[in-house]
Amino acid sequence: MTSSDATAGTTSAGSSDAGRLFIRQTSGLVRELGIPAAIGISLASVAVVNTFINFNAGLTDFPKSDMYLPLVAAAVIWLVAMFAYRYLLRAVPRAGGEYVYLSRIVSPAVGAMAGLGIAVVFTYVLSTNAHFAAQFTPFMLTGLGLAFHSTAIANAGNHFGSNLSIAWLSVILMLIVAALSLFKVKIVARIIFTLIILQVVAFVALIGILAFKSHSDFVAAYGSFSHHAGAYQATITAAHANGVVFGTSIASAVAIIPFMVLNYNGVLYSYYVGGELRRPGRTYLYASTISIIVLVVLWVGVWALLRARAGLTFMQAQANLGVLNPDAYAKITTMPSVSGGLGYGLLLSGDPITKILFATAVPFAEIAVNLAFVTVTTRVLFAQAFDRLLPVSVAKIGDRNHAPNVAIGLVLVIGIAFCFLTSLVNLGSIVALQSLFFALILLAGGVAALFLPLRRPDLIELPGASEDARKAFLRKAAWVGGATTVLALFTVFELVTHSSVYGKFSWESILTLVIVLGAGPVIYAIARSVRRQRDALDLSMAMHELPPE
Amino acid sequence: MLRSRRQRGKKSRALRLYFATDIHGSDVCFRKFLAAAKVYQVDAVILGGDFAGKALVPVLARGGDLTARIEGQSVTVPVAEWDRMAADINKAGFYPVRMEAGELAALEADPAALDRLFRSEIAAQLQRWCDLAAERLDPAVRCIITPGNDDPMEADAVLAAHPRVECPEAELCDLGPVTMASLGVVPTTPWNTERETSEEDLGKQISAMLDQVPEGKEAILNIHCPPYASGLDDAPELDDTLKPVIRGGRPSIIPVGSHAVREAIQRYQPSVGLHGHIHESRAAQKIGRTLCVNPGSDYGSGVLRGAVVDIAEDGTCLDFLLTTG
Repeated sequence: MTSSDATAGTTSAGSSDAGRLFIRQTSGLVRELGIPAAIGISLASVAVVNTFINFNAGLTDFPKSDMYLPLVAAAVIWLVAMFAYRYLLRAVPRAGGEYVYLSRIVSPAVGAMAGLGIAVVFTYVLSTNAHFAAQFTPFMLTGLGLAFHSTAIANAGNHFGSNLSIAWLSVILMLIVAALSLFKVKIVARIIFTLIILQVVAFVALIGILAFKSHSDFVAAYGSFSHHAGAYQATITAAHANGVVFGTSIASAVAIIPFMVLNYNGVLYSYYVGGELRRPGRTYLYASTISIIVLVVLWVGVWALLRARAGLTFMQAQANLGVLNPDAYAKITTMPSVSGGLGYGLLLSGDPITKILFATAVPFAEIAVNLAFVTVTTRVLFAQAFDRLLPVSVAKIGDRNHAPNVAIGLVLVIGIAFCFLTSLVNLGSIVALQSLFFALILLAGGVAALFLPLRRPDLIELPGASEDARKAFLRKAAWVGGATTVLALFTVFELVTHSSVYGKFSWESILTLVIVLGAGPVIYAIARSVRRQRDALDLSMAMHELPPE
Repeated sequence: MLRSRRQRGKKSRALRLYFATDIHGSDVCFRKFLAAAKVYQVDAVILGGDFAGKALVPVLARGGDLTARIEGQSVTVPVAEWDRMAADINKAGFYPVRMEAGELAALEADPAALDRLFRSEIAAQLQRWCDLAAERLDPAVRCIITPGNDDPMEADAVLAAHPRVECPEAELCDLGPVTMASLGVVPTTPWNTERETSEEDLGKQISAMLDQVPEGKEAILNIHCPPYASGLDDAPELDDTLKPVIRGGRPSIIPVGSHAVREAIQRYQPSVGLHGHIHESRAAQKIGRTLCVNPGSDYGSGVLRGAVVDIAEDGTCLDFLLTTG
């Protein structure tokens, strides 16, 4: 239903004198999403409270961690990638993402493989999000216990520390998401919107509390919560005794960049609705730039407030002591060590409403993200089914609820399997692998942009431009694509080379990685082979470039 | 033993169709549509409606230059580059029309004249396309073009008069193992287009055709509008000003297909339903035993989306593949 800069309506004339555009009375809406709507899409695609998970992962996995440089550097990476996607959007001004870009520009087979890989990655992300929420269950119960003055609720969190209980909690969250996904899309959209609002309110409330409280208020609140006036200093002392190194270092900051790259994931997602953007290149550019700036200001600001109120040394001590010596940590406080910024806000808040907001922010955020991811994942599965890589029944729409019940079921089953698999791996490993997956998706976008001027320069049209101007434009696209590729490779490099520091690449995590990355090529090869044996339509016909002449 | 049993039960292909739709005036897409016959080795190519372009771009002739607005930018080229400029304009499916400033002013002041110009441009392009089909298609390949809701009524006459093209609009068409019923009319839209009717009337028109399908013979539908809530009809929800509604940070997507088409499919259970109308809802879906297909449309990028469908001797659907080319 989209095709041009024209708007729908009766037969009419455009406004410019130099070249009017007369439009017929035809059906279809045409590029009506402006910059505010595109910003809304970009910001809604980012789980703002997930930054605390990544702050904690950075503090836990690297000595002398600080977040200023990683937050800014990751923003720069996304900013460069934004220009690459802008060229891609100009060449292929339709919704679709990397699957469409790679299949159109590099090769149909590569596109199909990337599409399947992304489907599996997204299903994996569903399970890791569920895992994050499960990890935060003790914190949620602690917060709710404080809000309702119930030690029974607060202490209930102590029963959810084992890997198995976290796996089961993840499964329960997956089932909740699956049940909500079965509603009609309008209702699902409203649920997502409500959950996003709740997490944004929690984030803003946290900023307010941190801004208006002092460092001594925090020390006192932590002591009061821990029933030990010297808990703040005791945490630092115990961490020091357990080998935690304090301070900051450039090397650590660079190593943390992949975590922060993950933080911004979603900020460029307005390109997924490229078909509906008014003046897509310009709208996308402005919306993405503004969204990145907003996030940098918010997150750097929150980090600065956390440093000022809790103190960097304390944050490093608290995050690491809980991992290195849980018994020593438990003797000082019952505050879950993964709680980070939200936990500090919980201590400082004086009313039950903000306590409930902080306690539930992460689970609600993860449910919202997972609901959105179920939609995206089922869409990707649909695309594979329509391309005959998966059975058509995967895309079956329910007669009653109009929901993709089979695809949701498939995502749920695979997601639950991943939940158990990821429960065997520690939190840092999961974050690292997730960062790696998204870095690879970013790499796919960079490669597509790099290959655009080399393989499909015909897709970039510059009406009326001279050949020299056109060549210069194509060169610029290649440079931006190359820069994005290099930055994505840098992110991948950082993740892989720091595996010994992280201890990430256990056999479980490598197996997960192999399954995720290998699923696409394997399924493609099997589907093609089976269809050949059955004398069915050859898959290679699906994206055969038709000669117009 | 198992193999021989499987081989005995195996159906063989009797007919291969290539179906595309909603190319909206794109010359490139129509040429690709014709090329698809050879590339996919099909027996018939079917263009399922909405072949007419949506906009007309006046190209002002001033001195030795031509000026037009392309992709939102004012572009001026020497008269010698008219062909290139026309091709650039038509990449979006728009009609380039050369005129003087006076003609442009007159056109703007007279909506009826503008409407006539649109209709004549659409008819002229369709005539060119039919001639091209006659020139390029293998004589053994049938070429079927049926209108959609955005196509003017005058187009039917062009199609009916051309010897190389078949236009079985609102009729049955024998394709060998199957009988095809075609209809370009859609339920009422917010845009009040050329071919619209009520759901009730649409249902009657479909039934009137399908009731005439010989008993025991399989039917396929070539109905422009997809069935309601089938996954082939997902489109952005619009507000009163025809702008997309945003919910939860995303454009709200709702089903906008036809209840009458869905009821007809459920009642008559043809082997295949070929649909279009909703460009962004490229999908395939089974309703009962009927395989419904909407190949979608990406004509504005010069990309032809289509579907190859294999039909068995008994008229059932053997296989299908959505294509992008």
